Amino acid sequence: MDRELRQWAERLRERAEAEGLSFPPVLFEEVTPEEMAMLAAYGGFPRRYPHWRWGSEYLRHRETYRYGLGRIYELVVNTHPVQAYLLRGNTPLAQKLVMAHVYGHADFFHHNLAFKPIPKDMLSEMAHHATYVEKAMERHGAKAVEEFLDLALSLENLIDPHAPYIQRPQEEEEEKAPERLRVRPYLDPFVNPPPEFPKEAEEGAKPKPLPPKPTRDILGFLARHAPLAPWQKGILEIIREESLYYVPQAATKILNEGWATYWHTRLLLPLLTPEEAVEFAELQAGLLAPHGLNPYRLGYLLLQEVEERYNKGRFGPEYEALPLGERLRYERPTGEGRRKLFQVRTLHTDLSFLEEFLTPEFALRQRLLSPEDLETFPQAKKALLCRLTNAGYPIVELLDANYQNRGELLLVHAYEGVELDLKKTQAVLENLHRLWGRPVHLKTVVGGKERLLSAGA
Amino acid sequence: MTPGEGFLPIARDLERFKEIVRGEVRKRAREFLTREELFGQVDGRLVSIPLPQLELPKIVYGEPLGEGLGLGGPGDEALGPGGHIPVAELELEEFLDLMGEALRLPRLLPKGEGEVTEEAFRYATIARKGPRGLRHVRRTLKESLKRALLTGEYRPEEPRLVPEREDLRYKAPKKRPKPHAQAVVLFALDVSGSMREEELRLVKTLSFWITLWIKRHFPRLERRYLLHDAEAWEVSEEEFFRAQEGGGTRLSSALLLAEEILKAYPEAFYNRYLYHFSDGENWQGDTPIALEALRRLLPTLALYGYAQVQGPYGQGRFLEEVREALAGQAGLATAEVRGREDLPTALRHLLGG
Repeated sequence: MDRELRQWAERLRERAEAEGLSFPPVLFEEVTPEEMAMLAAYGGFPRRYPHWRWGSEYLRHRETYRYGLGRIYELVVNTHPVQAYLLRGNTPLAQKLVMAHVYGHADFFHHNLAFKPIPKDMLSEMAHHATYVEKAMERHGAKAVEEFLDLALSLENLIDPHAPYIQRPQEEEEEKAPERLRVRPYLDPFVNPPPEFPKEAEEGAKPKPLPPKPTRDILGFLARHAPLAPWQKGILEIIREESLYYVPQAATKILNEGWATYWHTRLLLPLLTPEEAVEFAELQAGLLAPHGLNPYRLGYLLLQEVEERYNKGRFGPEYEALPLGERLRYERPTGEGRRKLFQVRTLHTDLSFLEEFLTPEFALRQRLLSPEDLETFPQAKKALLCRLTNAGYPIVELLDANYQNRGELLLVHAYEGVELDLKKTQAVLENLHRLWGRPVHLKTVVGGKERLLSAGA
Repeated sequence: MTPGEGFLPIARDLERFKEIVRGEVRKRAREFLTREELFGQVDGRLVSIPLPQLELPKIVYGEPLGEGLGLGGPGDEALGPGGHIPVAELELEEFLDLMGEALRLPRLLPKGEGEVTEEAFRYATIARKGPRGLRHVRRTLKESLKRALLTGEYRPEEPRLVPEREDLRYKAPKKRPKPHAQAVVLFALDVSGSMREEELRLVKTLSFWITLWIKRHFPRLERRYLLHDAEAWEVSEEEFFRAQEGGGTRLSSALLLAEEILKAYPEAFYNRYLYHFSDGENWQGDTPIALEALRRLLPTLALYGYAQVQGPYGQGRFLEEVREALAGQAGLATAEVRGREDLPTALRHLLGG
């Protein structure tokens, strides 16, 4: 990176800090389009375990760039220090914009509560995982490991996204057996009393259910209980850990991009010459283009809405009680906007953010909705929120690992009106069956009726 | 692979992915044979094949979760499960080689005399004039040094050289003959009433792959197309692939016109391929004329491919007649096509395998 850009990085950082943002040091690095495509395929990291799907993703990114269908201007990795990659060949202005944008993300990673339990040393963690898998390949053969990875990766969304936030009470330690005297083996049965009969054998006692409570952490359960080799359990743990790492990023896409966009606009725009401002406007227009669910656009507009509402006092029971028409004209200057924004940045994920601030007023003003369709708003909002729930994946729980007392797995899909892709689900169940070694069942709804899908039965 | 890519850690993942794709293409070569829409133009350079079977399955919803305020409907991937169907992208040549391997297609060898020379430019000499980009710095300085030595301007303690206009030297191109094999392929299609839509489609598929395969071996390939019923006439490529059925049949008409057209491509300079597709139903009395024409043509061709398609009214006799009359002659390739399942074998036979 040249000196001028470094100076700009410094200047923007000072401005950001003056505005109240705070974040760990940010390392900027310029990379070529190929390196960028690689980093994007690797989920932001320079090293991942060997697997062909990265290659497939890489090709897709490279071709998208090559055919001019889209470019990745920047990638930020949530580590300490924050690592940011800029695309070499961005214009100087684009580079400045991207740096300001990165500071927004860095602040978000640092403060948003969803990121709280996420380890900040994933850079080395991912590299450890890569080494682990490479070693397994050396020992057990690349083919065997790749086949296992293919199986395990099709289960990568079967995690409990809340697992990192749950603090479980320490499990009671099992009763200790009485100390045994160390004697020669043939004397043992005579010197030491026989161990007590297990409690289960007592009359009326039932075996403990496994898992004790229904769990969404299916990958974690398999890693502990499936009849697998240690290296296979290790790989399941790796996939689970990496999936959990990406959970908060997927859950805050709109808010995070909106926050970064809000700040790059506020930080950079006042520093620009008129010529630069024109280029800025062009970039901004591309970034905020209204195509589909553009997280930059939705997040940015909603944050601006929040700021305006809290500046004009459009909140509280008095405001809520007004009919729609009057709400649009309501004003009670409070100047609470900025403070509220920082609070939103800390407390919300996309789901709660949209739930709270995506109002009919906003939809009308942004022309997401025409006035005559007003009564469809709750329905449409619900559909949108549904897409943001659990990153758009169905929720599946493990109910019983000893289904019908035959050591079979019973999963349950929490059906909420949308049915599963049967072909893919069946393929996943087959994979699960190969891991578990015993038949596997999934309770779901097909064609409006409850049905049990099975593999291996 | 893009320059520099080989050094990236992802190169191994990319290589592994390509390997899997290659395996997949080999496995499904027969299926691809009837899906030429995937490959578009004969002149394409890259082939993109979606390979949904390579996608890692996940438990996902079977239908999109509603539009939600016009914020992206089905197919919008900005949020939610970001599963992308793996797309295999292969160089057309690599793809063809894999198909060739799987379908055991024969290599086409240029005939000895088919070699022609073309002129290629290489920057192999030096000139006194030229564009700045081609300036040869070392030679220029050498000239400059010579001049300095001659005029006595050169001082060893301060060996500074200032090139003058007459010192400047440039790299210059030199013509060099370069051998190059070239070929011509001529497709003749019987569009008489006895050929129906389904038969025509089979034939077009065959022509498509034959063209690609010959082009794989002879990058400089000229393509000519003719249609015939009782008369033969030349058409453009598009017309050929859009051809509809017509009237009666005289197979000789095609062969005679082919002979005429091929005169423009002297045997000495071209590998000449002639393909003829018909249902073999010929007008009585025409067969001897056709065979006569064929006897004249055959020795001058790299291959004469005759594919007989099973029509709705049974099959004509021309195939047997050709096989009988020209038995054992080099360059004769015949095939019978009864349906789609015959395509791989027919393709192999028609290419001389």
